[in-house]
Amino acid sequence: MNKTLVFITTGLLSVNNLFAAEAGMPQLDPTYWISQVFWLAIIFSSIYFLVAKMFIPKIKGNLDTRENKIRKDIEEANLLKEEADKKLKIYNASIIEAKANAKKIISDSRKKLNEDLSIKKKQIESEIQKEIENAEKEIQRFKINSTPKMISISEEIVSNVIKDIFGEDLNKSSIKATVTEINKGYKN
Amino acid sequence: MASNPMHQFSVYKIGPEIKINGVDLSFTNASLFMLISATLILLFLLFGTKEKKIIPNKVQLISEILYSFVSKMISDTAGKKAKPYFPFIFSLFIFILFCNMVGMLPYSFTVTSHIIVTLAFALFIFIGVTILGFVIHGFKYLKIFVPSGVPIVLLPIIMIIEIISYLSRPVSLSVRLFANMMAGHTMLKVFGGFVISLGLVAGWLPLTFSVALTGLEILVAFLQAYVFAILTCIYLNDALNLHH
Repeated sequence: MNKTLVFITTGLLSVNNLFAAEAGMPQLDPTYWISQVFWLAIIFSSIYFLVAKMFIPKIKGNLDTRENKIRKDIEEANLLKEEADKKLKIYNASIIEAKANAKKIISDSRKKLNEDLSIKKKQIESEIQKEIENAEKEIQRFKINSTPKMISISEEIVSNVIKDIFGEDLNKSSIKATVTEINKGYKN
Repeated sequence: MASNPMHQFSVYKIGPEIKINGVDLSFTNASLFMLISATLILLFLLFGTKEKKIIPNKVQLISEILYSFVSKMISDTAGKKAKPYFPFIFSLFIFILFCNMVGMLPYSFTVTSHIIVTLAFALFIFIGVTILGFVIHGFKYLKIFVPSGVPIVLLPIIMIIEIISYLSRPVSLSVRLFANMMAGHTMLKVFGGFVISLGLVAGWLPLTFSVALTGLEILVAFLQAYVFAILTCIYLNDALNLHH
C-alpha cells in the first residue's frame, strides 16, 4: 500500500515538474488566432453551402419519397382490403341466395313429384275400378245369359240321350220341366 | 515536451507562412484538423446520400437519423419559423460533433478545445441572432430584457440582470464547449502520463481510469455538440418568437 502511495506521489511530482516546464495555456497565445478564425470561416462556410445546397435537399427528398411511398402503399392496401371485403360480402350473399334457391328447387320438385304421383295413382285407381266394374258387369251378364242356354243345352242333351237309349222321342215339355226342376235344385 | 498535458493544444504552422497585410494566416495543425473533420463530414454525407434507396443502407440510415435528430431538435425548441436556419444548425452540429470526435483519436488535435474557435462560433451566433431579432421585431426586440409579470419596483434590477445574462451568452456558449473539451483532454493526458510513470506495478489503475475517461469523453464530445446546437436553437427561438 505504501509502495503504491509512493509511486503515485512520485508520478504526480514528475507531472507537476513537467507542468512547470511549459506553463500556461496554448489557447491563450494569440499568434495564430486570426489564422484559426480565417480557416474556420473558410472551411465552415464551405461545409454550410454544401450541406444547404446539396446534402439536405437530397436527404429531405429521400425521406419524402419514402414517406410518400409508405403512405401510397398503405392507401393502396386499404383500398384493396375494402375491395376484398366487398367481394367477400357479394360472395356470401350469393352463397346464401344459392342455398335458398337450392332449397326452393328441392321443395318444388318434391311437391311436383308428389302431385304427379297422386294424380297417377288416382288415374290408375279409377281405371282399375272401371275394369273391375266392367268385369263384374260381364260376369253378371254372363250369368244371366248362361242359364237359359244351359237349360236348352241340357234339354237337348237329355232328349238326345233318351233318344239314343230308348229310341224314341220323349215329350219335350216334360223334359223341360224336369231340367228346370233339377236346375232349381242346383241353384239352391 | 510530449508528456506536458497542455502540449497537445499548441498550434504550429504547417507549410509556408501566409501573410496578408502583416496578418499571419498560415495553415496550422488546427486548420489541418478542421479540414480533416470537414472532409470526413463531406465523405459521410456523400456516402449517405449516394444511393436513394427506399430501404436505406447503414450510412444512409445514419445520415437520415442525423437529419431527423437535428430537425426534431429545431422544431421542438424554435418552432416552425426556424426552418430556414436548419442548414446552419445542421452544419454547426455536425461540424462540432466531428471536430470533437476526431479530437478523441490519439495524436490528433481538438479544434474545439481552442477558445478562439468556439468564441468565433458563439459571437457569430450571438451577433446573428441579435441582428435577426432587431430585423424581425424592430425595437420591440428590447422587450426581451423586460420579462412579463414582474413588479415595477423590481424591474430595473431584473432588466440589468437580463441584459448581463444576454450579453454573457457568447461567453458561456464558447467557454462551455472549450472548457469541456480542454478539461477532458487534459485529464486523459494526465492519466496517460500516470500510466507511464507508475509503470507495470501500479500503472493499471490510471489505465482503467483512462479507459473509463475515454468513454466519458466520447459521451461529452457528443453531448457538447448537442448542447451547443440546442442553445443556438434556443437563442434563435428568442429572436424569432418574442414571448418573454
